[in-house]
Amino acid sequence: MPNAMSTVAEPPVSLPKVSAGLRAARLVLPALLLLIVFFLLPVLSLLLRSVLDPAPGVQNYAQLFGSTTYLRVFGNTFFVASVVTAVTLAIGFPTAWLLAIAPRWVSKLVFAILLLSMWTNLLARTFAWMVLLQQTGPINRLLMWLGVIHEPLILVNNLTGVTIGMTYIMLPFLVMPLHATLRAIDPTTLRAAAICGASRWQAFWRVLVPLAMPGIASGALMVFVMALGYFVTPALLGGPEYMMLAELIAQLVQQLLNWGLAGAAAFVLLLVTLSLYAVQLRFSGRAPGASGAH
Amino acid sequence: MQQPLRLHALVRTLVVTAVVSVTAPVFAAAAPIVFASWGGTTQSAQQKEWAVPFTQASGVQVLMDGPTDYGKLKAMVDSGNVQWDVVDVEGDFAYAALRDGLVEPIDYSVVNKSQLDPRFMSPGAVGSFYYSFVLGYNKATFKNDSPANYTDLFDTKRFPGKRTFYKWSAPGVLEVALLADGVAPDKLYPLDLDRAFKKLDTIKSQIVWWSGGAQSQQLMASGEAPLGVFWNGRLHALQQTGVDVGVSWNQNLTAADMLVVPKGAKHKAEAMKFLAAATSAQAQANFAAETGYAPVNLKSAALLPADVAKTQPDQYKATQINLDMKYWADHRDEIAKRWYAWQSK
Amino acid sequence: MLLDFDRLGPLRWVLLSVGAAVSLFLLLPVLFIVALSFGSSQWLLFPPPGWTLRWYSMLFSDPGWLDSLITSVELGLVVMVLSVVLGLLASLALTRGTFRGRALLKAFFLTPMVLPVVVLAVALYGFFLRIGLTGTLVGFVIGHLIIALPFSIIAISNSLESFDTALEDAALICGASPFEVKWRVTLPAIRLGVFAAAIFSFLASWDEVVVSIFMASPTLQTLPVRIWSTLRQDLTPVIAAASSLLVGLTVILMLLGLVLKRGKS
Repeated sequence: MPNAMSTVAEPPVSLPKVSAGLRAARLVLPALLLLIVFFLLPVLSLLLRSVLDPAPGVQNYAQLFGSTTYLRVFGNTFFVASVVTAVTLAIGFPTAWLLAIAPRWVSKLVFAILLLSMWTNLLARTFAWMVLLQQTGPINRLLMWLGVIHEPLILVNNLTGVTIGMTYIMLPFLVMPLHATLRAIDPTTLRAAAICGASRWQAFWRVLVPLAMPGIASGALMVFVMALGYFVTPALLGGPEYMMLAELIAQLVQQLLNWGLAGAAAFVLLLVTLSLYAVQLRFSGRAPGASGAH
Repeated sequence: MQQPLRLHALVRTLVVTAVVSVTAPVFAAAAPIVFASWGGTTQSAQQKEWAVPFTQASGVQVLMDGPTDYGKLKAMVDSGNVQWDVVDVEGDFAYAALRDGLVEPIDYSVVNKSQLDPRFMSPGAVGSFYYSFVLGYNKATFKNDSPANYTDLFDTKRFPGKRTFYKWSAPGVLEVALLADGVAPDKLYPLDLDRAFKKLDTIKSQIVWWSGGAQSQQLMASGEAPLGVFWNGRLHALQQTGVDVGVSWNQNLTAADMLVVPKGAKHKAEAMKFLAAATSAQAQANFAAETGYAPVNLKSAALLPADVAKTQPDQYKATQINLDMKYWADHRDEIAKRWYAWQSK
Repeated sequence: MLLDFDRLGPLRWVLLSVGAAVSLFLLLPVLFIVALSFGSSQWLLFPPPGWTLRWYSMLFSDPGWLDSLITSVELGLVVMVLSVVLGLLASLALTRGTFRGRALLKAFFLTPMVLPVVVLAVALYGFFLRIGLTGTLVGFVIGHLIIALPFSIIAISNSLESFDTALEDAALICGASPFEVKWRVTLPAIRLGVFAAAIFSFLASWDEVVVSIFMASPTLQTLPVRIWSTLRQDLTPVIAAASSLLVGLTVILMLLGLVLKRGKS
């Protein structure tokens, strides 16, 4: 039952609740320790290089912001991530909706297909798209045979290819949590809305979407954040015109061996993403999937 | 009760030390070395033609690792815990690596300098194998009029279709652009970057980039890019599987992979011995016969079977141009910056 | 009404057709890979000029592929279990805890997802080199666990969020012990979230390329590393054969699961 509908009174004794809260807090320690030792400390030392390598100072950041190339790459990354999130949301929401309410055999089948697609190795799937989307590939051939187009469409090594590839990979990450949220919504709420005279449209925008918002926000945030840092699919399906940050940083780390600049770029990305997250928190009043409003 | 125990412990220690010092040389000789390369059939051939004979002759086992990753290499050298003993790297990286403190100087008292091709030798690296960048085209697409040189490559009217070039900042593409623009081979260096990029801009919308040898073959075989600049070995492999590929060796550009020993490698002496074995005449000849790449040992040519010798870059020396690895090593970073900036526009 | 399938009217067909289109979209590459794995051309041309089982025999005769496959599965299972356990604990703390800075802590837990993987890979690799964990299974597990944990926390937190703790209080009042409450009330209610966390964690490890390239050693290699270097170096439908094999295995497992469930009811 969603919290908004509960009318249970507070338990008579408040003390157990306080210590329960602290007890719950202690549960975070194993994961926290793991991340501090094996994530925070190593990464921090790399990020520190951004102000120490090759010489102490902020030249790396000056280089980053002073060069149009890097700024463009930043812009591209956020642009592509937004496009992918929007497209994934557009096809993911109806799919999650279907999964939540369709007859069992339909939802089981679609769910099975979803799982099956996830199970196939990421690289193999991405490579399949590389071949599928070629100019001489089956998709173009089919479209030309059907007479829909006369010249093959350029579907790969560009923004289209990256969007298709990434949407494909990200779709399950949006659909699965979203369908769980939708399933948890009580249908009576919407029936009540209909009885109160709401049209389908109103019921959708003013009841269903707000109730599903935790799932939507959580899924969309996950997809957006993953898309920002994603490496494999843009590397294989994208073209250099829309080079994304992950590939740029990989180049700096693995080919140009400029770890100072790589650290600076990574740090800026981190900062921007976390501030976006903070803004989103401010707007929604609560973090997606975080503390319940008790 | 104390004294017999102490004596017992002392005797035990002496015995153990004696045993260890006698067997230690045996253990030391058996320590394997790690060879890192790029994977695929090239590395399999390196294993078969270099590592296996080396192990048979010296008793030192060679473990294969990879793919070669410069970030990994740098991390190893920085930390002092170097996991690789011999690494196959790109030519321009090899020349810069000694200067950057990433590799050990080659011990030329172990590696026989006199037999090696001087184009592919430096204080910090020795040649692994070499190859040429050549112009490849789909014969079926260009039945009547085949592209013969780089000027044709940039002629989208006579030869329409996508062109493919190596994606990363490395020797080859910029030189092709300059040559196509009419620069004389002996005036290529220092590279006029502005002129090269301007020339490339004329066909930029028609370029598809290949990021690995496999992709270049896929693009040609599928017809996605009917012409472009390829590694000669890759086109040779395509032809052997029946794909109708035409090759123009006009102004082919030589480049090489090099072998280096990372700074602080744990088995430096054995690594040098491995380098000597890998660059020996027979080993290089066998490798060439298997892969279609060219040997860096001058005496290997005589050992090649006739049909293999025909496909080697040294048959096409008439208009051959050697890419200047030293120039690239010195200007690697600034060229890379401009390259990636241009590519992302 | 919008959540009652039978009362949707024409909207029903819209949803069904979107579902069908998406299913086709999801299946296309998978079917394509299976088809390619039987094609006789080395260059992955479609339609292939002929059919062959050559790639499967190559797959089985090369111990490298099988070894990397087994390593990936082992690794994935270990990471899955650890990620779900740690994620569950952390999510409980983040949703139920009463300390300040919860949002900040949650953001911290999500950071591995934001940071480009190669930065984590290089940083972790450098650290492991200094403490001697490179090329070990433990090193792999730690590296993958850090990547998988954010998914686990998001999925489980999502479920916990929609769960009304009043149910737990009610069970406590009815006399259940706190452990019983967690085991018989909370866990079943959030099982969708835990299931999602398990799947995402396994897949995060299963598909992981960059950290694995750094962590790999001559004796320890995962499947994606093998595929990645094969993709770059040698095109061969053996990749397609390896993937198809796994698809086949998954289908068989799914069917088995279905049959067993039918048997039970």
